[in-house]
Amino acid sequence: MQRLARIAAAGLAALLLGAASPASTNPADSPVNVPEPEGIWTGPQRGYTPATLSGAHVIDIDALDALMARDAPVLLDVSLADRRPAGFPADRPWLPAHRSLPGAVWMANAGAAPLDPAHEALFLKRVEALTGGDKGRAVVVFCHPECWGSWNAAKRLVLQGYTRVNWFPEGIEGWQERHPTTVIPEDTAWTARAGSEARR
Amino acid sequence: MPSVLANPVLIRPVLRCAITALTLALPLAGAGAVLKPALVQAAGASDDEAERLARWKEIQKSIFGDKRIEASDSLIKVDAPVRALDASLVPITLTMPEKDQVAGVHLIIDDNPSPYAAHIAFGPGADPGEVKLRVRVNNYTNIHAVVETKDGRLFEATKFVKASGGCSAPMGMSDEEAMKGMGDMKMKFADSQPGQPVETTLMVRHPNFSGMQMNQVTRDYTPARYVNKLAITRGGQSVLTLDGDISIASNPVINFGLRPGGQGPIKVTASDNQNGHWEHSFTVPSATN
Repeated sequence: MQRLARIAAAGLAALLLGAASPASTNPADSPVNVPEPEGIWTGPQRGYTPATLSGAHVIDIDALDALMARDAPVLLDVSLADRRPAGFPADRPWLPAHRSLPGAVWMANAGAAPLDPAHEALFLKRVEALTGGDKGRAVVVFCHPECWGSWNAAKRLVLQGYTRVNWFPEGIEGWQERHPTTVIPEDTAWTARAGSEARR
Repeated sequence: MPSVLANPVLIRPVLRCAITALTLALPLAGAGAVLKPALVQAAGASDDEAERLARWKEIQKSIFGDKRIEASDSLIKVDAPVRALDASLVPITLTMPEKDQVAGVHLIIDDNPSPYAAHIAFGPGADPGEVKLRVRVNNYTNIHAVVETKDGRLFEATKFVKASGGCSAPMGMSDEEAMKGMGDMKMKFADSQPGQPVETTLMVRHPNFSGMQMNQVTRDYTPARYVNKLAITRGGQSVLTLDGDISIASNPVINFGLRPGGQGPIKVTASDNQNGHWEHSFTVPSATN
């Protein structure tokens, strides 16, 4: 029922926009038809994303649940970290907490484009370690809805020859509609990358 | 609709809200009360309560130290939509029925990176029965209201709200445009009976940049610029002061009660963290029968 309503809503939104709608089945789908870019998307990182990702599976929460029950995939969260505003008063609490899928590995902004080559290499090295060097291991990449970062990070893995890349566009919001989230720290090796603090 | 495609960045927040509104409105309209419980339970009830409680304790300590906070149904109530249509503009209502006991109220949005959203201290010119504010919510979160009584005790109430991305949501216009008319104010007074409190709404034009909003084209963060203090007086008597934060929504609006019998014009002084300073005066209309 909810699902039908969502499809109807997406359809309605598309009608309101006067744009053609892909057959959308989840709220992260765009009401406008966004074509896949060639390679990595370097435009604004926040915005409607394509319904597809060549070389990867686009999965909804049902498919993610099934995949997690069956294959224990590597869960990669590439959401941006909350940035401490410059000059934020020292006497006020600043307590960023990143809520994500339990068990996920968080490499903040690893879907950025362009990405410093050293950081890209580190990201790939971390994924290699997490998958035990098995390019056939199931990997799920996500951030938030309307976030190109997860599309890009998934694309990076496809381009590296990973064969079971899954992109979960509904992201953390899609997950928490059904399951609890938990506060996770950033991946330690990723945090240690040069210049990471400059992004906060 | 060529403008949508030509300028997707600028139109985004509006679209997002429209779509959220649709996704929300349709199931409710279609299925009525049947779906409501499912929506309410979907995440909040099953989230890790212990983790949320631990976080609240941590925040509590950073703001109130070791001072005890008691739960209360009668002294404070916090109300907000369970699911906000726009995470950068979430309406909050604080109700304090035992208003004669109230000295001030603190608003804390637990899962915001800067959780301490506001502190309001009431003066003799206020009727502290109800206050409304609009805030940014970064994540599914508990919102805590802590009331401080005149004898120095603290009481809390909480409400779980589903919204996300409110602190970093771009404003949907250029920074220059968002800052146009900064410091302008309006004040509205609801009709009131003589001897009754006057419901008053103060609107301040100010982008209240959170410092977490990224310009999607330049990838730069707009520097934080937010109203950190609002002082409202009437005839030299304090009505209230509000210490604000980046969690207050852009173009801050506060709704409060004026104690009957006050005299003279209302003076509002606002300042922001970039040394902005503005003052405006307003005349309270006389009560009508």
